[in-house]
Amino acid sequence: MSFRKRNIGLSAGVDRTAIPNAPAQPAPESIPGIRPSPDDGRPTTSTGTPSLDNLLAGHAGLPMGKSLLIEENGTTDFAGALLRYYAAEGVVQEQKVHVVGVPEQWGRSLPGLIGTAESLNDKRSDKRKDEKMKIAWRYERLGEFGAGIAGSRDAPAPASTGEQDGKPQAAFCHAFDLTKRLAHPSITNMTFTPVVPSRESPFTAILKRLQTAIASDSPNTIHRIVIPSLLNPTTYPPNACMPEYVLQFLHGLKALMSAYATRVTAMITLPLSLFPRSSGLVSWVELLSDGVIELCPFPHSSDALAASGGATSSEEPPQGMLKTHRLPVLHERGGGSDQNVGLDWAFILSRRRFEIKPFSLPPDEGDKEAQEAPASGGMPKKSDLEF
Amino acid sequence: MPSQPPLPPLLAPYLSAQPEASLTLVSSILGATSNWLTLRFLHASLSTSSNLNASLGLGESHNGSKKVVLVSFLRGWEFWRAEAKRLGLDLARLADKKQFAFVDGLSELFSAPQTVNAMPSVPSIASGPTRTSLPFRSQPGAVPGRGPPSAAPALAMNNDNLARSQTEQGIVKKLHFSGRGIAALDALERDIASVIQLQKSSMEDGEELLLIIDQPDFLLAATGPVMGIGATEMAEWVSGLQQHVHATIVTLAADSPLIHNASTSGHQMATPVESEHAAFAISLAHRARSVMQLRTLETGAARDVSGVLRISRGGGADDSVEERELLYYIQRDGGLSVFGRGES
Amino acid sequence: MAPLNLSHRRTHNLLLISKLLSLRDTASPLTLLQDSLEQPATPLIKEYIRRAKLSKVHVTLIAFETLKAPDGVDAFVSARHKSPENIVKEVAAAYQPSTSAAPSKRRLIIIDAINPLLSSRRLDAGFHLPTFLGSFIAPASPTAKADTSLVVTYHQDVPGLPQQNPYSPSPLTMLTYLATSIITLHSFSHILAQKAARDRSLVAPVFGLKEEQEGVLLGRLDKLRGTNAAEGIVLELEHRRKSGRGVLEWYLLPPASRYSPQQVKEIVTLLDDNVLYNPPMELDTNAGDEEPKSTFELGLTERQRREREGVVLPYFDAQQGNGPGEGGRILYDMGEEDDFDEEEDEI
Repeated sequence: MSFRKRNIGLSAGVDRTAIPNAPAQPAPESIPGIRPSPDDGRPTTSTGTPSLDNLLAGHAGLPMGKSLLIEENGTTDFAGALLRYYAAEGVVQEQKVHVVGVPEQWGRSLPGLIGTAESLNDKRSDKRKDEKMKIAWRYERLGEFGAGIAGSRDAPAPASTGEQDGKPQAAFCHAFDLTKRLAHPSITNMTFTPVVPSRESPFTAILKRLQTAIASDSPNTIHRIVIPSLLNPTTYPPNACMPEYVLQFLHGLKALMSAYATRVTAMITLPLSLFPRSSGLVSWVELLSDGVIELCPFPHSSDALAASGGATSSEEPPQGMLKTHRLPVLHERGGGSDQNVGLDWAFILSRRRFEIKPFSLPPDEGDKEAQEAPASGGMPKKSDLEF
Repeated sequence: MPSQPPLPPLLAPYLSAQPEASLTLVSSILGATSNWLTLRFLHASLSTSSNLNASLGLGESHNGSKKVVLVSFLRGWEFWRAEAKRLGLDLARLADKKQFAFVDGLSELFSAPQTVNAMPSVPSIASGPTRTSLPFRSQPGAVPGRGPPSAAPALAMNNDNLARSQTEQGIVKKLHFSGRGIAALDALERDIASVIQLQKSSMEDGEELLLIIDQPDFLLAATGPVMGIGATEMAEWVSGLQQHVHATIVTLAADSPLIHNASTSGHQMATPVESEHAAFAISLAHRARSVMQLRTLETGAARDVSGVLRISRGGGADDSVEERELLYYIQRDGGLSVFGRGES
Repeated sequence: MAPLNLSHRRTHNLLLISKLLSLRDTASPLTLLQDSLEQPATPLIKEYIRRAKLSKVHVTLIAFETLKAPDGVDAFVSARHKSPENIVKEVAAAYQPSTSAAPSKRRLIIIDAINPLLSSRRLDAGFHLPTFLGSFIAPASPTAKADTSLVVTYHQDVPGLPQQNPYSPSPLTMLTYLATSIITLHSFSHILAQKAARDRSLVAPVFGLKEEQEGVLLGRLDKLRGTNAAEGIVLELEHRRKSGRGVLEWYLLPPASRYSPQQVKEIVTLLDDNVLYNPPMELDTNAGDEEPKSTFELGLTERQRREREGVVLPYFDAQQGNGPGEGGRILYDMGEEDDFDEEEDEI
């Protein structure tokens, strides 16, 4: 799919011939953490979560110049974990990370680096191979989703980097451990912009700082803008949720990102319990974002129910549902044609990874016992027969 | 899926031939955006191959050539340029020929231009070097075409930035919102009208000027009653602009919270953002000749359908608009196919 | 509905709508048209203009929405960026009765949408809707005959502003109170769909914005060309006579393509007269014919039936069966003729 020839259809002959067949500058792979999208070659960067990268409409990363809005229901902080991965990835890739609204302690709580995402995946897939016989083949593809697609998407990257005097390929995405603390020389490069309450828009100063920081920086520096829990009343003054303030800010952010379309990405989280999706303000916040993802954690009491949700007993139970409402680039162009479209997603946050995978309804409780009985006993027999 | 021409035959009659003083409203939602349709409007008006329609007997003969002014509040010049390129339209070249003009409502609408950045009067970031390097850059300035995937938008940032700031000059008029209330809207109207006048100055007989306003509803949401701007004022603003041009196309959002929260059956009080938006959208629909509504499939996403396009007669309709409901699919390469339900 | 009643309604109410639409006798100085996206008032306004042209009435359009003057409008007053006072002045200036001697022409003033005025932020607090509307209708001099009709369109689906003064009536309430006739417009096909649902005791369908479907502003596509059977506009008229009596009637206005612009004969019909809305009922006698006939008289007369129902069957009580042995008791009411001896007889 991704390697299919792209044709523009029968379009204006005159205009087309006018285009100089200029082979655009061969992408100098000078910037770590940036790689061309396998879909259309635009530069992308990693969100720090491999399965989230893979969700983003075939770009295998967050396209530069785009923003991602993560909404979360309830009082859990899964979105915060995604945001920390994103910030940590930025630190590790030596990008400039701008954090808005939270104190510097937030920066000290970034998850520790434990290697590249591939290394973790290799371990995982080894483990998977041992379990292979337990997984029906048609689920296997889905189970390998996180690793499998990432693997295939990696293909173009070596192609372009391989020529770089045999340098070892720079990792695109890293793995982090939430229980460890990130220690990286460039962690001091993070900037923290506080929200200062004022009678006018509290965002004006923030936007100005971001603008100056990005405009004055060298054109080869990549920036990440991290906005945890937008409009959260513990950090933002009450007037921040006035549409003329917050929407103008997001519009300004959009303008900033389109002005430096190859240097900036942003990730914003929004607490839906305070600002529900059914409100017009949140609609506008969504419309101003390039990607919109909603997390719906399962309530705690239903842990038992969720526990039965794994396809096999060895898999961790999903902790919530994930909905993609809008994906960067894809929806800007009109939507559709994504392979992953129309699937239900579940997410699992463990110590070492935030994994997004297809969700299947948990089997009935009664069924579960029936399932487990053979699992403990004569399981191998059955699978031998089937394959 | 069979590939269709850039203007699929089912859609073509709605894209070409806007009668005089008509308003076409395009509504979109979060998961079904309207950019592709806007681009098709551009294509139908600007592409020289749109004579194709005439030969098919679809377009009226008066679509000699058209000029288009595009005012966009949510997307920048770079986006439109790159996407139009995928359709085979070179907007930069058309702008040079005064066929097309872009009014940028994104970059500096609410923020004063940065000192580091190019001031509107100052040519560019560093005017000297840019000038000298102009000759060799003018070629890629016509934009790297589609090529091998890795070739598309360059990773070379500085080149990109310079090239852009240079191409933007003269083409792009940047809007600035200042002040409040009607006065602020009037200033915006004057800015846009000046661009329109500039286009008109080179107009030949029989040429028509089409104005596309992309998401003016954002302006309403981001200012609102607190700043003395309501749905009525916005609608007046639109009709003020309409008076300068032959026909107008307006896109806006029709997400459920923005439209339905304000209806009286609502459970709680609608917020000003919601009620003003609903009033703006519905009153524009009352004025419109046709309303093109985009939405996602009710039955959930599908792999070969991007969304549903419903074309209805607006309040100002005559009988010439045929109402239809069509499915559309945007392919990965930007190609579009439009088909009826049950067809493919 | 008894046929006699219907024909009476037909005569009177058709005459009434004819008078109202053709502005005869200034039957209604202030008409309020309530429309929605599902059925805009544009065709009805065109019909007003058409009739006004036929009877040489001077037409003024006050345009809050319209950009270009439609055909047949004598004076076009754009209300954009104008204060109410200026609008009144311009409208007054748009038409001067030529000389006092000549019989002054009647005048029709149309406001294409009153909503923008009602929710405008430029209005000062002193704006008073009744005065504004009244200034159009009021005759120029006290002696002159009132000969101006005002037709005001109100979009029902456009949300208005919250009331500034919570105690004053809302603008719509005020309009409906002031108006001498109120015409609410419905799409014929929607009315038919709703009637069909009602006939089956189903919930009536809703259309357009009321569907509350994401991304949908306008309703289903049942106004498609070609399905001309259900074309037309349903007018729900509420008229207040000068006597104070009210009239409520539903009419059907056919689409403009069905009649010539010069047609003088009334084209509006009662909705009840429409075959689609009110399919002709098969008469009962005809229905009876279809049943197979028998040589026996199987029916009962009314009296026979009543008497049969009065009969209490013996052992009726026994069927309740309160327990074993309880059933089978003979119930018998003593009559005068019974010689009952307590000691020997028992029941």
